Amino acid sequence: METDDHVVSVLPVHLSNNLAPNLQLHQFPLLNRSLEVPPSATLSGKRIRARLKPTARRLEVHVPVDHRPEVWNTEKSKELGAGRLEDDKEKNQLDSNRVKENEDPRLSEVRFRSEAIPHVGAYMLGVVRKGALHLHPLTETHQLRPTLTYLDALNRKSRRARGADSDSESDDGPPPDPDEVPPISTPPKAKGSVGGAKEVQVTARKVDEKGGQHLQGGLSAVRREMLMGIRAEEEDEWQELAYHGPESAESNEAYEALFSQCGDVLESQSNVSTFLSSTRGR
Amino acid sequence: MSGTPGPSNTGKAIASLAKMPATDTTRAGTQKMKFIPTLPIRRKKEEVKQEPAAAPAPTPTGAPSERGGGRGQGRGRARGDPSRGGGRAAAPPRPPPPEMTASGPFAMGPSLAGSSAWRSGPRVSSIPTAPRGPPDPAALGANLTKTAAPALKKEERVESRVHVDDDAEVYSDPDEGVEIVDMRNVHTMDWMAPESLKWESARDRSKKRAAKVEKEEDELTPDKGKAKHGPITTEGPPVDDVGDINFANALDLSESEEEEVMENIIDDFARDGEDQSLRQERLYFFQFPSPFPSFVSKSSEPSDPGEQSHVSEHQVKRVSFSADTKPPASVPEDVDKDQPPPHVDGVIGQLEIYKSGAVKMRLANGILLDVTAATQSSFLQQAVHVDRATKNLRVLGEVGRRFVATPDIDSLLEAMTQADEAAIAKVETEGLLPMDTT
Repeated sequence: METDDHVVSVLPVHLSNNLAPNLQLHQFPLLNRSLEVPPSATLSGKRIRARLKPTARRLEVHVPVDHRPEVWNTEKSKELGAGRLEDDKEKNQLDSNRVKENEDPRLSEVRFRSEAIPHVGAYMLGVVRKGALHLHPLTETHQLRPTLTYLDALNRKSRRARGADSDSESDDGPPPDPDEVPPISTPPKAKGSVGGAKEVQVTARKVDEKGGQHLQGGLSAVRREMLMGIRAEEEDEWQELAYHGPESAESNEAYEALFSQCGDVLESQSNVSTFLSSTRGR
Repeated sequence: MSGTPGPSNTGKAIASLAKMPATDTTRAGTQKMKFIPTLPIRRKKEEVKQEPAAAPAPTPTGAPSERGGGRGQGRGRARGDPSRGGGRAAAPPRPPPPEMTASGPFAMGPSLAGSSAWRSGPRVSSIPTAPRGPPDPAALGANLTKTAAPALKKEERVESRVHVDDDAEVYSDPDEGVEIVDMRNVHTMDWMAPESLKWESARDRSKKRAAKVEKEEDELTPDKGKAKHGPITTEGPPVDDVGDINFANALDLSESEEEEVMENIIDDFARDGEDQSLRQERLYFFQFPSPFPSFVSKSSEPSDPGEQSHVSEHQVKRVSFSADTKPPASVPEDVDKDQPPPHVDGVIGQLEIYKSGAVKMRLANGILLDVTAATQSSFLQQAVHVDRATKNLRVLGEVGRRFVATPDIDSLLEAMTQADEAAIAKVETEGLLPMDTT
């Protein structure tokens, strides 16, 4: 340690949770420019939209795409748009407001889908203002990546069209586990006809296997949980959210609310050793 | 043993047992499959082979290399790859080698390896909007392109941009309709243009090296392997111990990074009294060890002790309340798991910046945390307020730097020793419990 290390400056640290538990961190891996509407799309009045599945904690952010002919292939977008439309229908997330019936569906936006990331430790957002550091806890972190599920829809369509003679590339999900008996499809039947891709695969497997009745326990617990989770999520309805960019008035309001207004010194019960004692062994 | 001689060896007294006569059936009795290779058409190859021999100098000699012959041959695939020359004569018809015209990105050959010739043509001119250049991301406060970042780096970057013009590479005259764009500047061409890679010009590199060397010379500590060795380059000072080369090399990298980063931390925190406009304030991300101590305001009775962290996962499932709860510090109610966390608003400690560049955060009850820069992310991060009650998603801004707070080990150990001592003292004062030996 250096002997003449002294404090150069001190900033008081404020903590507030005015916006808790709604403050989240959204990460966009692979995107290294800011999230904004391309100028050409702004001209035609498009905005970024967002929607949320509250129970499943899943968010989607839809960003309009730049469809100038120099950088966008309109023909392809129509093709893929059809795939997306079908994908939406399958997943029951068709938004009647957004669909225009009079023209071909086009791919007009990039959809970013969120994945909740577990926190390690306590995450806080900090802003330095007027010589003080203001902290605010973050409750959730989500990573948003573009979804390409419309490609799956197109793939399925083309595979069905081709029939039994499908090439090796379009394989029907991961091959069934040789040690595990393939799952049976009675749960999806009970559920109804809303099912999408996942149920179809399960049904197909059932046809393949010989003695289909003996195993409720054949579905491993983990897989069952996952399937249930997926189904629960699909049943959850999307809630539209009004998206306000960083420069808008509402965002400024929320931003101001972030800050601690009070200068009272707070007390705490815990000690440094609390960190040690609450470390969880793995 | 005579065994069974092969069938139909009429002319020989003793047939050779080792030799199997050539028949169409295998030993197992099935029909032998005949392998007929698909021979490539050899016609063209012969012709082509003869041509270069006759043709004048430009193509290098040797039949196999008639494909890769000449730098100007634009079929990038076969460029300079003589081994693939043969056997491909069945390729789609091509003009004879000396008449090949160059086209495509490899047209100019390797001389322009540092840049690419783009046929930009109508694209650039017809864009109605301004291309996205360095000023743009800065205005958004974005930390996303290489240009944004703490002030130091930004200036450096701008500077390097200017210098690029001075020592920009001189390219050969482009053909008509082809515009030569330096690869570093590609991302300025259009909104949708790909991102250019980070460019460290020779000037910056030598600057960094010089800085590194200076810092290392200033270091007084004679720690082994630490910074006495210059960077391993041709220009740097010679390495003392051969055996420590790798070690020193490894250390150099981390050290230099640390130094840079330390300065930047100070810069981030030492903005005193700067009157910045609303949105110019940077958002930082802090990671604290869990559980983050809970704080209560003095006026009320203390609530549940510190195990409850503000960011525990179970809070998420709770129904959220509207975001209109504005301060001042209210009296927190007794914490019930089903209710929102108690409202907290106030000063919890202070951030100390030391001369050496260390940053520590001192919280109540002697909690001392070291603040260091975490791995910076190269992607976009936004702080967002999601309000389910009013169905609003508000972006508060983009998060720039990340910091990690770790308990200061010295104070942690001290606290532990004190706690131990206190426990011992307690036992002593209370007296030892008598053992029941009956």
